[in-house]
Amino acid sequence: MTSRTQFLSGRTGRGAAYVADRSGAPHDKFMRLSACALGPLGLVVGWCLVSVSGKSYEAARAEIGRPLPALAMIAFIAIASMHMRLGAESIIMDYVHDEALKEKALLANKWASLAIAALWTLAILLIAAPK
Amino acid sequence: MAHAELEAMAEKRPLSPHLTIYKLMLTMTMSMAHRISGVALYLGSAAMAIYLLALAFGPGAFAAFSWIANGFIGHVFMLLYSWALFHHLLGGVRHALWDRGLYMDPKGRELLAQATLGGGVALTLLTWVLTTLAG
Repeated sequence: MTSRTQFLSGRTGRGAAYVADRSGAPHDKFMRLSACALGPLGLVVGWCLVSVSGKSYEAARAEIGRPLPALAMIAFIAIASMHMRLGAESIIMDYVHDEALKEKALLANKWASLAIAALWTLAILLIAAPK
Repeated sequence: MAHAELEAMAEKRPLSPHLTIYKLMLTMTMSMAHRISGVALYLGSAAMAIYLLALAFGPGAFAAFSWIANGFIGHVFMLLYSWALFHHLLGGVRHALWDRGLYMDPKGRELLAQATLGGGVALTLLTWVLTTLAG
């Protein structure tokens, strides 16, 4: 006799972890879908940022201002900001137990992630804009 | 029952075993490293936004910031940021494999934990060497 059950991963959206408030599955799906996009984008952005590091003003602008790196950087932060907001939400929910403080932390997290995405995008647009 | 009484009872309930109970293993270290690198990327991206803004606002703004960005601190930051990025990226690949039921046996888990650690360091070094060669 075997008690082995068929393997069900978190991707299916089922499982005990998602029963508590029934909001786990969308979070889970978003993290995995966004990760699929962030994998390739992360490699491109990692390459761009490392190659820019230490360079002069003109050289750094020329490097980031090219169309493809600029697009990759904007796409990266647009998706990554939501990915990191949700990731930080999990961490806050895990470690902050005081309800009032938790609310404040979640709100700060929301605006911080939005601000990072907005400022990063604004910067890239200014750098890549044709003179 | 009053709310305070319920709270008091909840305080007395035994807790499930947490991190401090277990012997430190590579797999659990990589699990923690995934979270830590995620937080590092959050904070690092905020710092990166400041660098990009300085670059966007003109030579004056860049000069005011580049003494730190192009100095020792900037290089150490960029090294750690790129390592966190590649480590977290490979951690995601590891989770994607587990989602498909692959590498879940003891040997597979250990192999993936080693691959995440080694691969993250290797990708970081490779990127730095190749970008330096590319100029």
